[in-house]
Amino acid sequence: MSDKPVNKGPHDMGGEAAGPIDTTDHGMLFWEKQANALRSVLSRAGIVKVDELRRAAEGLEQYGKLAYFEVTTSALRVLLLEKGLVTEAELEAKMAEIRRRFDVPDEMESPIKRKAKP
Amino acid sequence: MTKSFDIYAKRPHGHDHDHDHDHDDHAPQSETEGPPSEFEIMSRAMQELLEAKGVVSADQVRRRIELFEEDFPYRGGRVVAHAWTDPAFRKRLLEDGRAACSEMGIELEAERLIAVENTPEVHNLIVCTLCSCYPRALLGMPPTWYKSRNYRSRVVFEPRAVLREFGTLLPDNVTVRVHDSNADMRYVVIPMRPKGTESWSEERLAGILTRDTLVGVTVPEVSPKE
Amino acid sequence: MTPAGGTSPMRSSYAPAPGHRYAVGDRVRVKSAFPPGHRRTPWYIRGKRGVIERICGAFPNPEELAYGFDGEPAKVLYRVRFAQKHVWPGYQGPDHDVIEMEIFEHWLEPDDGVDRSAKS
Repeated sequence: MSDKPVNKGPHDMGGEAAGPIDTTDHGMLFWEKQANALRSVLSRAGIVKVDELRRAAEGLEQYGKLAYFEVTTSALRVLLLEKGLVTEAELEAKMAEIRRRFDVPDEMESPIKRKAKP
Repeated sequence: MTKSFDIYAKRPHGHDHDHDHDHDDHAPQSETEGPPSEFEIMSRAMQELLEAKGVVSADQVRRRIELFEEDFPYRGGRVVAHAWTDPAFRKRLLEDGRAACSEMGIELEAERLIAVENTPEVHNLIVCTLCSCYPRALLGMPPTWYKSRNYRSRVVFEPRAVLREFGTLLPDNVTVRVHDSNADMRYVVIPMRPKGTESWSEERLAGILTRDTLVGVTVPEVSPKE
Repeated sequence: MTPAGGTSPMRSSYAPAPGHRYAVGDRVRVKSAFPPGHRRTPWYIRGKRGVIERICGAFPNPEELAYGFDGEPAKVLYRVRFAQKHVWPGYQGPDHDVIEMEIFEHWLEPDDGVDRSAKS
């Protein structure tokens, strides 16, 4: 007899024992609000479906170890690649470019910080 | 862990009176605390690539951020406050949540809204165990606890213990009715209206209909200062 | 949910459910099935017995939408009410506590009175 529930995804957690709840709302960082907005624009335009985003999230090997917006960001990445909307190479290159931007010293006011002001 | 800017725990009008006003709760969080995480970089990269390809525009994303910040979080309280003051509207809200919101000029997005009412016999509580479905166009973004593993897993099998963690105690003669929002429908709780609010305006009533009361983990409170 | 580019506004929370198999008040059982893939029937409710609380309407099947298909033909979605004591062995609460959720018609069977809930 198997100990592991058959085909129970990491997301399907209703009924599992867990610890106390942090009842404080810790809100959202700006990038998380932006990530949420991006996802919202894409799903409302029919470019990705909410169901596809969920399916991609559920399939993440790291699901249990990631925070909420890390899950949703990873899921979106899976779908954009799957649908050929971006390529791995493009994504790597753009991420490298953004990392370089954040290495810019404070005095030079990185474009990202400028963008971050609402 | 970087601090985060929290607007969703605050009431829409005025401040909670039990915190120090000196620290600037309402300034947006600076992004300068340490380097961005890999996921932030990933998210920004995806957005910039999609903008460059004309799939989305920066304006569209900005507009959504504004709606989630300035519009959505305040709708739920208004709708339920109206239901409190207008019994016929309350009935229509219970029959068809989406249509009732529409009456008030509140057009929900994908939300197929079901309103469930608290009574002296029944207390309602909402969760989405499978992900974090939530009526975002009515209540804004869900709080971090709603999306947490511990809430999602435990509230379905020990709702009373979870309610106690939020400071909500229910006697055994009250039925706890948990709703797992697992498919197309979305939920909002109509709490019981506290005594002593009979003369209040809808705006004032909306002020005590906090997000937590509309999800069902707490009940509205009339503080002595109200 | 309106499809991308759809122009008809969605006025009601509910949709028509032509040919729906179950009526409000019917006793049903959630299928004791554990297929892989994207499912919106939580694992903990598989095999449990409940009562139809509401007919929500026919909606595109999320199990197909998740993989990029259109989810047609639409499947009828019901709200089903379960007694907590019948869902969780040793439930710590009064007998009258309930849990409700939405279950698609193809995940339901008539309740013949036999408990086939999964042992986890």
